[in-house]
Amino acid sequence: MPVRWHLAAPVQSRLVPAKSGSVCSSLSADDDKLLTEPLSHPDFFSVKELFTLKDLFDARVHLGHKKGCRHRFMEPYIFGCRLDQDIIDLDQTMQHLQLALNFTAHVAYRGGIILFVSRRRQFCHLVESTARACGEYAHTRYWQGGLLTNAHILFGPGVRLPDLLIFLSTLNNVFEPHVAIRDAAKMNIPTVGVVDTNCNPCLISYPVPGNDDSPAAMELYCKLFRMTIIRAKDKRRQSEAVEELQRKAEGN
Amino acid sequence: MAPPASAVRAAPAPGAEAPPSSAMAAALRGRAARAWRALLLLPAVRSAGGAAPGAAGTPPQPPQQRPGGGTAGSGPRQVPSEKSESFASMLRRSPLIQMGPAKDKIAIGQIFHVVDDDLYIDFGGKFHCVCKRPEVDGKKYQRGTRVRLRLLDLELTSRFLGAASDTTLLEADAVLLGLAESKQAKQKE
Repeated sequence: MPVRWHLAAPVQSRLVPAKSGSVCSSLSADDDKLLTEPLSHPDFFSVKELFTLKDLFDARVHLGHKKGCRHRFMEPYIFGCRLDQDIIDLDQTMQHLQLALNFTAHVAYRGGIILFVSRRRQFCHLVESTARACGEYAHTRYWQGGLLTNAHILFGPGVRLPDLLIFLSTLNNVFEPHVAIRDAAKMNIPTVGVVDTNCNPCLISYPVPGNDDSPAAMELYCKLFRMTIIRAKDKRRQSEAVEELQRKAEGN
Repeated sequence: MAPPASAVRAAPAPGAEAPPSSAMAAALRGRAARAWRALLLLPAVRSAGGAAPGAAGTPPQPPQQRPGGGTAGSGPRQVPSEKSESFASMLRRSPLIQMGPAKDKIAIGQIFHVVDDDLYIDFGGKFHCVCKRPEVDGKKYQRGTRVRLRLLDLELTSRFLGAASDTTLLEADAVLLGLAESKQAKQKE
């Protein structure tokens, strides 16, 4: 049974070699500069200005589940417990979110394929429209067993796997960790994930401790990821245009 | 267990026990209209006590109400001189924390989804609550309607036998009391 990726319109200027997943297959000196220059800045895409502590607070990102639902590995990220409800430490969330957005921006800048994953029915439409808006992909339905690990059989040879998985909720419908977290780790695909107090942050490369149940919080995350990806892609297009002009000038 | 007198902000629910002293009862009744917790950051105009409208962090009510409790101000208190408040400070002043235990507190919610007779109401907590459409004024409860709720629990969880962690219903529990008071009634105060 064929599985449909929820495809969005791909961005035009993207380095997409057919077979290999890496973007560095054929590089000239200009491309080299294009790719290495962002890596020298700590915050090349200024993701810090996209959000403030107040925005996170107003979107109820600090609210966690009850004490009984707490996962042991989320304890470092929890500020405290108020009347049995865990409160997530937003200072840590700020740092983690900056790292996650910065990484997402770099992946998008280098033409990586980003896949949004969430198994929450309440937000599935939001996630899919976010993915469509930034020209990336989303998978908010039942995750078949070998989608990543058995891709060459399910999709045929030469399929390109996503370069980043963004989990807007790391649990599936039965409150177990989403299979894609483990599979992405197996396939060496980095992951960004919003982890609530009942989630396991272990295998996620860039966990973002935060609320994944309130619509306000989810809309904030979607907005931030969308803005980051669009900003990174625009920057890439700009840099390429500048390179093009310089090359033409030198040629003349 | 009744909360201490100074912290009581909720109007006594109909049918609940009368408050201990008549003076306090009078004070409570007088403050009843303003006593609803505004956990929800609503962009609508809130005319009680001349509060300025605003989606986030409206300034607190003048004098008599203590910050965070029983005020019509929604969201954390903003001190104009401070530009960046710390998380701990924001949390301490937030209505959710100032409210205390959620049991039997009155709050205002907004209906964001309707499925036949089920109303999905968001009152500013982590989860929404689901209430049955009441018989009185049933047609008035549509998307966007503001309603009064008596909160019972912020999240319905329970530990079942043999389970490692609590099972959660991803829902809050509240009793629907009726429509929120109209602006005209508030302006009279």
